[in-house]
Amino acid sequence: MEALGDRAISQLRKGVLEFCVLGLLRGTERYSYEIVHALGELDGLVTTEGTLYPLLSRLRKDGVVETTWRESATGPPRRYYRITPAGEATLAAFATEWARFRASVDVVLERGIADE
Amino acid sequence: MSDRDLHPLAADYLRRLRRAARRLPRGERDELCLEIEAHLLETTSAASPPEQVLKVLDRLGDPLDIVDAQRPLADARSDGRPIREWWAIALLLFGGFIFGLGWLVGLALLWSSRAWTTRDKWIGSLVLPGGLALVPIAALVASSTQICSTSAGVTRCTGGGGVSSNVLQLTILVVTVVAPILTAIHLWQGIRQASRPGRAIRPEYR
Repeated sequence: MEALGDRAISQLRKGVLEFCVLGLLRGTERYSYEIVHALGELDGLVTTEGTLYPLLSRLRKDGVVETTWRESATGPPRRYYRITPAGEATLAAFATEWARFRASVDVVLERGIADE
Repeated sequence: MSDRDLHPLAADYLRRLRRAARRLPRGERDELCLEIEAHLLETTSAASPPEQVLKVLDRLGDPLDIVDAQRPLADARSDGRPIREWWAIALLLFGGFIFGLGWLVGLALLWSSRAWTTRDKWIGSLVLPGGLALVPIAALVASSTQICSTSAGVTRCTGGGGVSSNVLQLTILVVTVVAPILTAIHLWQGIRQASRPGRAIRPEYR
């Protein structure tokens, strides 16, 4: 049985993951595996790499990223992702909200620890 | 999509994914499997040590979770239980007794559900139309069927009590009873496979 904390953190991860993908695409393009690998390297962000592919598919449908297929010398064709203007706007809005959110949560946690 | 360059463990994983993804629309299914196959080709090769491949598969996660991330099976309202699908099976089996309309409703539920592949839906529709309600109809038809053969200009017919008529009746009855039941079991297995809880990496992968 999952602890309440596990479920909340899992929801938190799910909530921010798409913005992390967008963040990785700022100013550059990356192909699917590059994105998955980069996120996997970040501590605590991804538990099941396979579920990132449906996430990428959803981001395409939402129009915040666009893709092109390119042949690769070393293997199967690669799907390269780029952020769209809509994606940039979404990311910017998230960045603002996240700064507020993080600051507020930090205050509560620090205050909580200080009061003990 | 060929598994030629994949490690056997990776190829097996991909097969499990394709099986789990059967309930997805074809476009989504093919795309997802292509992406995961590309991932496996990037991270492993046929010559990779098994521990490395298992680590990659572990990080990828359970194929059922990946398919569920693409299209969640559970309806939030029914708390994960496929109520609509149970009704579809029940009505396909017994709904024909409600003036045939119940079966039609079951058919509509079958085709509007996301739980089954198109192939399974065709099986559910055609084996057998009307479900168990077909049994009394088939019995009636069988009992009035005559088998006629002509030899030396004389036509002989047997029916309504002859031995070959009884065998025919029995065969028809058995088929009309057994076939819908087998179909119902097949459909039920289809939803059970997709929604089973507590999924974990199979023991042989550990």
